[in-house]
Amino acid sequence: MIEVKYFGAVAEKTQCSFENVVSSNISLQDLLQDLEEKYQFESLSFSVAVNQKIVSKTTDYALKTSDIVALLPPFAGG
Amino acid sequence: MLPEIGETGQYKLLKSKVLIIGAGGLGAAILPYLAAAGVGEIGIVDDDVVELSNLQRQVIYKNSSVGKYKVEEAKSMVTALNSDVKVNAVAEKLSGKNAIALFENYDIIVDATDNLQIKYLINDACLITNKPMVYGSIFRFQGQVSVFNYQNGPTYRCLYPDENSSSVNCTDAGVIGISVGIIGMLQANEVIKMILETGEVLSGKILVYNVLNNEQQKYDFEKNDSFVMDRNIFKGKYSQKENRVEEISAEAVLNQIDNEEVLFLDVRNEDELPKITFRNSIQIPLMNLEGEIEKLDSNQTIYVFCQSGMRSKIAVELLQKMDFKNLKSVEGGALALKELLTKEIKI
Repeated sequence: MIEVKYFGAVAEKTQCSFENVVSSNISLQDLLQDLEEKYQFESLSFSVAVNQKIVSKTTDYALKTSDIVALLPPFAGG
Repeated sequence: MLPEIGETGQYKLLKSKVLIIGAGGLGAAILPYLAAAGVGEIGIVDDDVVELSNLQRQVIYKNSSVGKYKVEEAKSMVTALNSDVKVNAVAEKLSGKNAIALFENYDIIVDATDNLQIKYLINDACLITNKPMVYGSIFRFQGQVSVFNYQNGPTYRCLYPDENSSSVNCTDAGVIGISVGIIGMLQANEVIKMILETGEVLSGKILVYNVLNNEQQKYDFEKNDSFVMDRNIFKGKYSQKENRVEEISAEAVLNQIDNEEVLFLDVRNEDELPKITFRNSIQIPLMNLEGEIEKLDSNQTIYVFCQSGMRSKIAVELLQKMDFKNLKSVEGGALALKELLTKEIKI
């Protein structure tokens, strides 16, 4: 199981702060594509972290089943 | 006295110069603590005046501050608190024109703004002047804190390379003052740690804090060297695109009356004549605009008009600050429109 955490405006789209995705041998890019189809993030941009580290290239990144993925959009309030 | 600070630490504080961009919720939290700690010189940049709706989170202002420049009110608060602090109140909007010259006079730059585009400007000016940028921002009950460009460390662009993304600010999203206060406090803490050279600075890490469940996480990110910034690039990037107000002539407006993609926003008061309504129009008096902003969609094309074309320019500037993108101010306002409409009917 891969845990996906959502923050800020992204969590507002998903209407939850995390969820578990059951899958084996999925790449980070595939996971993001699945989430995009499910939630239609559209113009929302965000950075992606795996196990508390921001991933600069999400292509060719293989996920392990115990990984925790986080979607972090920029905030603008102050 | 804390042994970690001592007399040497106090001297370091006295010798330090900190620039705070934004005298809103974050700035109001950061400023009194830096002043009370004895930071020798503090600059504050903000061109806004205090509004009643600010008081729930911008706690350094009073009822009597309403209508006055934030930086002036902030300065008198600091002087009353610690008269040893030199305060520079800059009642200007930060722009490509003033950023570099301002930043050069300080050691640490604090981002207390509520606008994504300005964060890129601050980041880039920090890169050029080689100053650390203490970042903080809020989305409803969550906040982010980080320190960019600290000893050549990663920058805001390494974390968020996409400059064209959007996010709502506090006025749009709604926020409780305490969330902003907590994040501002964490920023002030980073400032003090850098000055005292103690602890671990949040460089290459972003802290995400959720005030609803008190969860916090740190995420690491690395420096991306592919982005280059120098004075020439900076100049080219920021010199021409200062928030200019685009205008549209009354004649051109008449061709768009039936365009369903365009919303006409009348910012006059309800009793002003002549009354002008189009199929797709709405009236929100200028003074209510900020409070009733939820009636508008920031992605829609909006033509703003008033009686003669002055207030509509102010309204466009206000909306631009709130990340509205497709705005035009109608030249000559309702009077020019009325004149053309009357002619048209005669024909």
